[in-house]
Amino acid sequence: MSRTYVEIAGRSLPLSNLEKDLYPSYGFTKAAILEYYRRIAPFILPHLQGRALTLKRYPGGVEKEFFFEKRCPAHRPAWVSTAEVVHHNGEPMMMCVVSDLETLLWAGNLAALELHVPLSRAGSPQTPDSLVFDLDPGDGAGIPECTRVALILRDLLFQMGLASYVKTSGQKGLHVLVPLNSKDTTFDDTKTFSRAVAGIMERHYPDLVTSKMAKNERIGKVFINWSQNDASKTMICVYSLRAREKPFVSFPLEWKELEDLDGQGDRESLQVVHSEAVRRAEAKGDLFREVLVKEQKLPHL
Amino acid sequence: MAVQGIWNGTIGFSLVAIPVRVVTAVVPGHVSFHLLHSKDYSRLERKMYCPADERMVTPEEIIRGYEVLPGKYIPLTDEELESVSPERSRTIEIIEFIDMKDVDPIYYDHPYYLVPSKGGEKAYQLLAEVMARTKKAGLAKFVLAEREHLVAITSKDGALALTTLHYSDEVLPDGEMSPAKGAAESGEVARMKKSIENMMKDFDPGKYADGRRKKIMDLLEAKVKEKALVDAPAMTEKEEEGPADLVAALEESMRKVKVKEGR
Repeated sequence: MSRTYVEIAGRSLPLSNLEKDLYPSYGFTKAAILEYYRRIAPFILPHLQGRALTLKRYPGGVEKEFFFEKRCPAHRPAWVSTAEVVHHNGEPMMMCVVSDLETLLWAGNLAALELHVPLSRAGSPQTPDSLVFDLDPGDGAGIPECTRVALILRDLLFQMGLASYVKTSGQKGLHVLVPLNSKDTTFDDTKTFSRAVAGIMERHYPDLVTSKMAKNERIGKVFINWSQNDASKTMICVYSLRAREKPFVSFPLEWKELEDLDGQGDRESLQVVHSEAVRRAEAKGDLFREVLVKEQKLPHL
Repeated sequence: MAVQGIWNGTIGFSLVAIPVRVVTAVVPGHVSFHLLHSKDYSRLERKMYCPADERMVTPEEIIRGYEVLPGKYIPLTDEELESVSPERSRTIEIIEFIDMKDVDPIYYDHPYYLVPSKGGEKAYQLLAEVMARTKKAGLAKFVLAEREHLVAITSKDGALALTTLHYSDEVLPDGEMSPAKGAAESGEVARMKKSIENMMKDFDPGKYADGRRKKIMDLLEAKVKEKALVDAPAMTEKEEEGPADLVAALEESMRKVKVKEGR
């Protein structure tokens, strides 16, 4: 195994297997992955900050097995921050928290291609700082349907006095986020609100939307998964790579991009690949900054 | 008859790939009932109850646990289970050909048919015919409903059939089933052989029917004549919609959205 050491902020980080191609059908080595995370670090770090990280590791690349690692590996360097999180079963567990470039690259070196975080911070695990609608097109539905649902959802939320932001999931769907950033909002609130919204959407657009988890309910429709609004769930972090055939990124979009599609587009229309992600982030800044700071209150709760 | 497939993909080996769909070959004949409330005939639902909290729990609160010892569990999340589920696959790849008579019927699980999809008819016919002639079965792996099954592909009356097989570790050892060996007396053997021969017939499954099923169907027919059908009470939209204020505000907002956008 080849090993290289890099110095970052006076800390020595061992990197291994840099030449290993982790996206074989596209051609994207671990060195390229680390370079992506180095370039995107200024944009992704604020979104990882303070959150318990779930590593989704692909040691053999995206075509091989993966595993979720919630517990922060015991062999971590001493400078990796951790937070104690109480798991389902009531047992406390140490999880990694990424707050600097060296920790981000350390995670990348573990082939943790996908970085998943909860909607709340480790210090206040029951307080979501945003609400999410995870739009997941079922078989027979795609980007046109998903875009349409996202735009209706944006308009509905706007009428309710709420600003919302959209990103690609990096897989098939879109994530619409409503920033809250209020310590008074609980997951019970976000769940009640998102479930009611999904229900209304389903009632008014029964051929386009379902709020039911069952796979056969989803055929040709977009599933609005509101149940992600839960303390025990994690979401792919904005700017994280996805383990697909190509290194697509979960990337923030402007609503205008969705409007311009006008119900058209194919599977890859809105997908943003690593190089474009860096280029667009550097040109436009963090389109998801408001998600971290904008204070909003859910009405009628 | 247009049969709904439960799976679409291709079957193949080495360089052959034939588009097919899988349809079930057997519809179990039992009569199924819904559970109703005796008072008003409303359809009952299953809910999960937590005896410790003395309340019903919601689906989001439910995880799976593998029981190691009585009351001791290893909890597993859906994500962890998903990480070990086989990838959905669009191919049934024959890995070897075997003699079907070598397969103990105890391994047979569920029978299906393979139906050729558009463009696959000719290759399908060829494979079915060659397999019928050589009397061989193809052994393949097949992912259905998040499980990888071992399956046998056989040729049957010009069509291809697929039978899912149990894995060997699912089949219980039969060591303790047969009694200790004792010498059989040759007169006894001959007599029993004779009585078996006297009762020999060709297998004709059409001669037999599920007696209880027939009686239930007769009973239902009789009941329908003597008494009108009962109605379940009409359900008001009872799915948990959320607080009335919120739902009203959402309805109002939705109305504005639709007006504005002409949707």
